[in-house]
Amino acid sequence: MEHKRFTRRDFLKTAGALTAMTVLGEMPLDLLAATDERRLVRYPEKTDLILLTSRPPQLETPLKYFKELITPNDALFVRWHIANIPTSIDVNQWRLKVGGNTEQELQLSLSDLRVRFEKVTFTAVIQCAGNGRSFFEPRVAGGQWKNGAMGNVTWSGARLKDILNQAGIKAGSVDVSFNGLDTGTLPTVPDFIKSLPVDKALEDDMLIAYEMNGQPLTMLNGFPARLIVPGWYATYWVKSLTDITVLNKSFEEFWMKSAYRIPDTACGCVPPGAKPQKTIPIHRMTTRSLIITPEERSGLKANKPVDIMGIAFSGGYGIKDVVVSTDGGRNWVQARLGKDLGKYSWTQWSYPWRPKKPGTYTLMAKATDSIGGSQPFEGLWNPSGYLWNKVEPLTVVVR
Amino acid sequence: MKKITMLMTTVVLSTGIAYAQGGPSQKPETQPGAVRSITLPAVRIELKEGEGRVKAETFCNICHSTDYITTQPKFPLAQWTATVNKMIKVYGAPISEEDAKIITNYLVTNYGAGN
Repeated sequence: MEHKRFTRRDFLKTAGALTAMTVLGEMPLDLLAATDERRLVRYPEKTDLILLTSRPPQLETPLKYFKELITPNDALFVRWHIANIPTSIDVNQWRLKVGGNTEQELQLSLSDLRVRFEKVTFTAVIQCAGNGRSFFEPRVAGGQWKNGAMGNVTWSGARLKDILNQAGIKAGSVDVSFNGLDTGTLPTVPDFIKSLPVDKALEDDMLIAYEMNGQPLTMLNGFPARLIVPGWYATYWVKSLTDITVLNKSFEEFWMKSAYRIPDTACGCVPPGAKPQKTIPIHRMTTRSLIITPEERSGLKANKPVDIMGIAFSGGYGIKDVVVSTDGGRNWVQARLGKDLGKYSWTQWSYPWRPKKPGTYTLMAKATDSIGGSQPFEGLWNPSGYLWNKVEPLTVVVR
Repeated sequence: MKKITMLMTTVVLSTGIAYAQGGPSQKPETQPGAVRSITLPAVRIELKEGEGRVKAETFCNICHSTDYITTQPKFPLAQWTATVNKMIKVYGAPISEEDAKIITNYLVTNYGAGN
């Protein structure tokens, strides 16, 4: 008889098949815990992250890191759009050029950013527009993220407003564009350039960040400096910035005009499978929550207390409350909110639960922000797989 | 094939100089250890054997690794056709009409559904 090597992959496949075929209550607990069989990789300055794509890299944060209020730098997700990403930067040579429709052009070094402008620090969720895309039904093309294309980071840097004011914005300015060091491998690949309306760019909380959690940015998260647009999806948070250009007309290039657009409807959604009649650039994040523990399909014991814990955040409005259900949405109780790190941070929440009887339970969490924004019970659909914020049921087994 | 070899060379060269565009420095600073570098890992992705695999690998790899294929949902022909067309029309992938058909057929046969 031939002995085949039984690899970890084989084990996980078997575990997946067993889970699908067998009544949950009869499964050994260690098999039940294997819910994510995606491949882990280690990139420079990073811990083991889930590999979506290698070039350009898209790396997802494993859920366990969201047990913490602040996401460690080495665990923060990575997402680049075009393949020539910066891998070596001479800080003596690097400059941030600020110009266009301005009184003067600035060439700022990293130390200029640190010394010539007030240092501002706050905590803000960074989340990819396509976080949760793999949950869309019907499925859509693009990075197949689960929930790990997000993180909660304390950013430090100079106010974009202070920099723009030093350059002096001329009358008639419309948009401000942001370009970084990444380029395409063919000249025909549209360069990754994003823009903000000039009024948005002049808001107080836009940063040119040079620190994450008190350290220089990791190379893969945009060293030496990136844009921070708190409350808005990370597509705007251009990494390894080199050019800020004030424009006296609307910015019309690919990554604003064709990509990262949502249906121009109140929900940003269309009926599943439908084509939107009109689209607009994606912008503010939708309000959402996520249960972090207990993990999906984990085994619990009757009459043994367990904390249902998770996170919640919005598009910059703070979190007013989080309610939790342990019976699939029939009854709801208020969760206790954790430390408040400001309106752009996520809020940890918890609910002490003591399941009375053995059985299968469906847990849910639903967040509401300070202006009443909340989460739908059905996934809202759009063709690009953006804005995911459905109340996600999570099944646990109590024995 | 010659065309592709040339393109791949361009890819390698431009990767090397991607960062060297800092512009003239107004007041030169000299900091020790001012160059920060990382080396990206070589991640091996294997596409399924099948007619058209080499073409898919060669052309797709010009701009992105082939895990951009393997991690996608099992799309029907219409979706894979749209994706290949987008690569040509939007991103300028230098793929002939004939090769586009071969690649699309490979994708839907090996990574597709509903045929």
